Amino acid sequence: MATRAEFLDRLRREMRRTQGLFPATPAARPRAPREAAEAVRRQLAERWPAALTRFQAEFERLAGVFHRVSALADVPGVLARIAAEKGVREVIGWDRAALGWDLAAALSPHGLSVFAAPPGGDDTDRESHLAVAARAPLGVTGADWALAETGTLILRSGPGRPRTTSLLPDTHVAVFGPGALLETLEQVGVMLEAHHADGRVMDAGGVINFITGPSRTADIELTLTRGVHGPKEVHVVFVDDCPSPP
Amino acid sequence: MPDPILATPFPRRAGAALKDAFLQEALTIATTKFIDLRKEAFGALPEGDALRDRARAIKEATLQRLDYYLDQLADNVERLGGHVHWASTAAEAREIVLRLCRDRGVRTAVKSKSMATEEIHLNEALEHAGVTPIETDLGEYIIQLAHERPSHIIAPAIHKTKGQVAELFSRELKGQFAADPEVLTAVARRELRQKFLAADMGITGANFAVADTGTLVLVTNEGNGRMVTSLPRLHVAVMGMEKVIPSMTDLMVFLAILARSATGQKLSSYTTLVRGPRRPGELEGPEELHLILMDGGRVRQIAGTLREALYCLRCGACLNVCPVYRQIGGHAYGYTYPGPIGILLTAMLEGDRSVKDLAHASSLCGACKDVCPVRIDIPRMLIELREHLDRGRIAPWPERLVFRAARRLMQSPWLFRASARVGRVLQRPFLRGDRLRRLPLFFGKWTATRDLPPVAARTFSERWKELR
Repeated sequence: MATRAEFLDRLRREMRRTQGLFPATPAARPRAPREAAEAVRRQLAERWPAALTRFQAEFERLAGVFHRVSALADVPGVLARIAAEKGVREVIGWDRAALGWDLAAALSPHGLSVFAAPPGGDDTDRESHLAVAARAPLGVTGADWALAETGTLILRSGPGRPRTTSLLPDTHVAVFGPGALLETLEQVGVMLEAHHADGRVMDAGGVINFITGPSRTADIELTLTRGVHGPKEVHVVFVDDCPSPP
Repeated sequence: MPDPILATPFPRRAGAALKDAFLQEALTIATTKFIDLRKEAFGALPEGDALRDRARAIKEATLQRLDYYLDQLADNVERLGGHVHWASTAAEAREIVLRLCRDRGVRTAVKSKSMATEEIHLNEALEHAGVTPIETDLGEYIIQLAHERPSHIIAPAIHKTKGQVAELFSRELKGQFAADPEVLTAVARRELRQKFLAADMGITGANFAVADTGTLVLVTNEGNGRMVTSLPRLHVAVMGMEKVIPSMTDLMVFLAILARSATGQKLSSYTTLVRGPRRPGELEGPEELHLILMDGGRVRQIAGTLREALYCLRCGACLNVCPVYRQIGGHAYGYTYPGPIGILLTAMLEGDRSVKDLAHASSLCGACKDVCPVRIDIPRMLIELREHLDRGRIAPWPERLVFRAARRLMQSPWLFRASARVGRVLQRPFLRGDRLRRLPLFFGKWTATRDLPPVAARTFSERWKELR
């Protein structure tokens, strides 16, 4: 096996033999990522209604199902309707701190059983969580960002926000408000630069997922088929008056 | 590990593909559809050309400081609790995976689609070592059940009908399944869901690795990439070293053009950014993450003819537009990477000798360069490759002889004019109408598939004298 030093030495020897094909630089990064992210947030605080219109159009083009309510109090009703439509009674979801509201408390009056991810799980938690997640038909998450130009949901994993809540169930529902909306991939880049500039590496979760519509394949005769491994359906519940989760 | 298909010479492999009526139809439908989807996607993206220029510049800039970025990537992956391995050859890369399997008692490994693991023939090595590799991309799963090789970089099973897949599933999975993509996809979902949950190891490639943050980026549509990085206790990623990029800002440029070039989507269904193994307090994710950075012939091209091929994103766009690929499909090429870029990558990874014939499997029309998201000048490199084959005496002697003679003729005006006069006499018995349709000896290979215009009754240089 090569060591890092050997590998890089050999590489450097080859690199010294060439100037490259043409003068080139990587993309220009924001010099002060946190300030740049704050500037984007301020712009979107004004412009989010237009971004939402675009998001809805793109999301529906991907076969996403879009719902809009004015307040968090209306969300359980929408979730209960989706569950009833699918004929399911079990729901898994992110925990209270991750969502900014209590899923279990919201849905139990509707006769649904909710398994919220325990924050900071040990091995026993892990096993019981996976056993439930593997068969739960409906998964409820928030969204850290929602990208309008592509209809994409961006979810960070972490304690209380399992990465498979948006993957294993047949139906995934993401609940978010105006604070999540972004217009362009470039803005997502600014947000990610700021997120990583924080330095608190181990506090953040291991994975960030961009979700653009349901799971899909066209591997058999190029016939578009949904739900090959991940969700067959993705729903968004947009809440006009939604306090951003911490 | 040579592919048995290579026992048949390329012209015969290509010939067989041309006679396969089903393959011909499947190729036409698939490649045409991909071309249309791509065209539509870029049509709706006015900044597409500027983005491609930027993406190209990022790739070149990264190569100019590749040692720095790889060092930085390795530091960051390790800081996050991951392990980094360096493999000079395909054999070393395989051995690293096998050793991990042995040490950690791995029995089954679920894989998401990865050209890098195809390149090193990892599945065969795992099977030999008693580990069951399970391909989980639907197309790859079909191919694996059928014991075949992928025929397209992003659509591995385009050469198969739904009827063939139904038959295959019914036989291998013991059931009676209708020839309906919906039904067959549901069957695969059920089968593979159990495998995801039970597997010890998840194996992936990486579309990109962000040096600045230590992030591995996986782009998939089915969600299998997410499964294999979430459920098994080990995650191993095998990656060509040139996949590193500097920053998240750079990543956004590539994401904007990758899916558009491959399938015409704005973004693929899932883009997964993996930063190390499971964090404290997380319920899912691997306990261990291993990144294998691979040379395998790449390093020596840093200052070589094929440097530009190191920009490749593996989107498959050049396959779809290539008049040769569209006729013969992926299998006939015989190696992991088919199509125009595949010829260059094969030369890079397997050596010049392996593309003795393949280097000519291109009309040099330039369609590949036109669609490439990072504008790789494939035709230029193919020509340089042909020159290498000639200089290195790898090309067959009749070919070298003909080109040497042609070079001599073109360097001397006197010889050139004289040869026209001689040619005019020699060609007489072979003229049919105004075309040379069949030539004798090894020249016959040329006229077997095309006509040759004859030397004119009066050449331009002869007429030029009078016109002056």
